[in-house]
Amino acid sequence: MSLKTIRWGAGIAGVLGVGLALLFHWQVFFWVPTEASMGIVQRIFYVHVPAAWVGFFAFFIVALCSAVYLWLGEERLDIAAVSAAEGGILFTTIVLISGPLWAKLAWGTWWTWEPRLTLTLLLWFIYVGYFLVRSSSENERTGRRLAAVVGIVGALNIPLIHMSVLWFRSLHPQPVVLRTDGPSLHPDMLVTLMTALASFTLVFLAIFLVRYGAERLERELRAHDSARESGKGVPV
Amino acid sequence: MIRYVQQVEALVRKDLLLELRTWDRLSAMGAFAVLVAVLFHYAVDRTLIHPRELAAGLIWLTIVFGGILGLGRTFALEEEDGAIQGILTSPVPKDAVFLAKVTGNFVLLGLLVLLILFVFGLFFQVGLGGNPFALFGVLSLGVLGFTALGTLYSGVTVRSRMGETLLPVLVFPLLVPMVVFGVRGTSLLFAGVSGAEVEGSLRILGSFSLVALLAGAFLFRFVVED
Amino acid sequence: MSSPPARPAEGPSRESPAEGERTSSLEAHALVRAFGPIRAVDGVSFELLPGELLTVFGPNGAGKSTLLNLLAGALQPSEGEIRMGGRLRSHGEVEWRQQVGILSHQTFLYGHLTAEENLRFYGRLFGVDQIEDRIHERLSAVEMDHRKDDLVRTFSRGMRQRLSLARALLHDPAIVLLDEPYTGLDVHAAALLRDLLSSLKDGRRTVVLVTHDLTQGLDLADRVAIQVRGRFEFFGSSVELPSGPPDAFYRSVVEGVLGGAGGAP
Ligand SMILES: Nc1ncnc2c1ncn2[C@@H]1O[C@H](COP(=O)(O)OP(=O)(O)OP(=O)(O)O)[C@@H](O)[C@H]1O
Ligand SMILES: [Mg+2]
Repeated sequence: MSLKTIRWGAGIAGVLGVGLALLFHWQVFFWVPTEASMGIVQRIFYVHVPAAWVGFFAFFIVALCSAVYLWLGEERLDIAAVSAAEGGILFTTIVLISGPLWAKLAWGTWWTWEPRLTLTLLLWFIYVGYFLVRSSSENERTGRRLAAVVGIVGALNIPLIHMSVLWFRSLHPQPVVLRTDGPSLHPDMLVTLMTALASFTLVFLAIFLVRYGAERLERELRAHDSARESGKGVPV
Repeated sequence: MIRYVQQVEALVRKDLLLELRTWDRLSAMGAFAVLVAVLFHYAVDRTLIHPRELAAGLIWLTIVFGGILGLGRTFALEEEDGAIQGILTSPVPKDAVFLAKVTGNFVLLGLLVLLILFVFGLFFQVGLGGNPFALFGVLSLGVLGFTALGTLYSGVTVRSRMGETLLPVLVFPLLVPMVVFGVRGTSLLFAGVSGAEVEGSLRILGSFSLVALLAGAFLFRFVVED
Repeated sequence: MSSPPARPAEGPSRESPAEGERTSSLEAHALVRAFGPIRAVDGVSFELLPGELLTVFGPNGAGKSTLLNLLAGALQPSEGEIRMGGRLRSHGEVEWRQQVGILSHQTFLYGHLTAEENLRFYGRLFGVDQIEDRIHERLSAVEMDHRKDDLVRTFSRGMRQRLSLARALLHDPAIVLLDEPYTGLDVHAAALLRDLLSSLKDGRRTVVLVTHDLTQGLDLADRVAIQVRGRFEFFGSSVELPSGPPDAFYRSVVEGVLGGAGGAP
């Protein structure tokens, strides 16, 4: 992919994503029917759930790119991994802010040990570890490899962690979209949710592409600089 | 294959010999375990709850905190005069180095667990329950996965400026399965259930260890290689 | 600077050497190792026959230790390839390391183990046969057998260097890599090392020696390289060296690259 393609892709994804964001905000505030048992608060759901989906999707990209990066040593995959991780930490942060807001209004407590919220918190910390390892390593090359290891091991453990927190306690409303007997949501609610999901995915893609292009450009510039004054050694 | 086992054995033997000579990690972890138990005594109000009722959870947390203390120093002795380079330039596969380090650490953490059980028995009259074999299974499967993760990540943190302080940040989020099912299995067994009832916990702790061991054996080369 | 006066390995590298021909024992082709922006080894090529000893000279930071670490299998090259007896290093890292002994800046010894325990440990990693005999033999070759049961942390710098030398040669490696082996050695031990080096030139082994001492380095060298800023600025057989004092030649090569400020090697 040339930098120009990336820039165009980021632009289109960004415009579409923001457009859809405006649309789903309108839907959330003026159009979608109010959920019966939880009332108005339930509307946070349209931000909370898509953000969680995107946060986990981003981590999947991080782990995948990290694994292939270790295998092939192709630097662009590392750039992709770190760009996805940046997007991912943003969306998991949104989940961690919107979750407690919802919990406070719906159940009167800021924090619930709801399994998926707990899992998101743990995922957020895995992301933090990913960035800390990357930035605190003795040199950049090592940092990339070590961060890749952290990303992969984290992803391998996510299913087990998920199972554990799920088993431990589930106070939360049961999954409402992915049920075998078809979605139980009001059709308008489903449309709103899907709009939000598309919007978040596109915004994530835009952030990802912008970061990817910028990081690649930065590394190319640095490589260029150092090629000019290569082999800087101690004068005899 | 025989060669592989011999190399692992040489590495393990060397690690344990060094540990016996220096007592660096054993003494720190042992003192930690006893002192934590003393602090627990003052942290729990006995008029409300007897520490025995919290025993399973407290034991696992002591294992986690005491263990991380020792695991973080896995490569400390290797750093001295480049010994790790000596191992890496020898014809030992990287996974053998990892498995050897895990084995040595597992022995160390095993001793820590025995000490913790002894201390909790002495201070809080926590018995082993009716099924010591199942208890042994729960403890060792959980600790094995913990050891594998801690060993891999201590290889990561020695190469970081932040050093050992980074280790808990990396490892703790991944320990949730171990704590959930370790504590559950342990408390059931303390309550005197039969071995069959903790089978589910054993199975999950087993998968946890297996994932950690395989991932570590496979990824360790990327941690130590340049 | 763009065209270094180095003499690279003749001809392209071959997959399998022709029959009957003397096969090169150690061969590097366009070898590069970068640390971030610094190219510590920058396009080094050479070819050594069995029995040859190559001495590498060069200023501090020239990349000599990095080169040895690449040859030892401790570092991954960024570009280029290394072969031993025609076999690529990347085709069998473990087999490669089995054939190499390296004495580096660091001794690789454990202070809390005795001299003998250190050697036994490394001997077992390398799968050395008749390990106790070999340990005894190597310890007496470096005249350390009287201290074999003492902890290494109680040793002096030179004693550690001797023991580390015994460690590097314990498994009878075909490729011997020595990074400033004379560091810390007394006059007697230096003579001992010199004898040991000449005994290593038994026609089977290939030795790469890095040193800052021109006299000691040229003494046994078949081939000589001068490495500056990662490149071999000179590579040739020791008889090809221009006549005249060697340090004048060394200085002219180094100053040719770095300009001005020459100094002792
Ligand atoms: N692990 C590393 N990380 C980053 N840079 C390194 C590393 N090892 C070596 N370098 C750099 O590579 C260059 C060559 O270093 P090297 O140790 O190979 O030099 P040398 O020729 O052995 O020097 P000396 O004569 O001082 O031993 C130096 O600029 C050094 O800073
Ligand atoms: Mg050096």
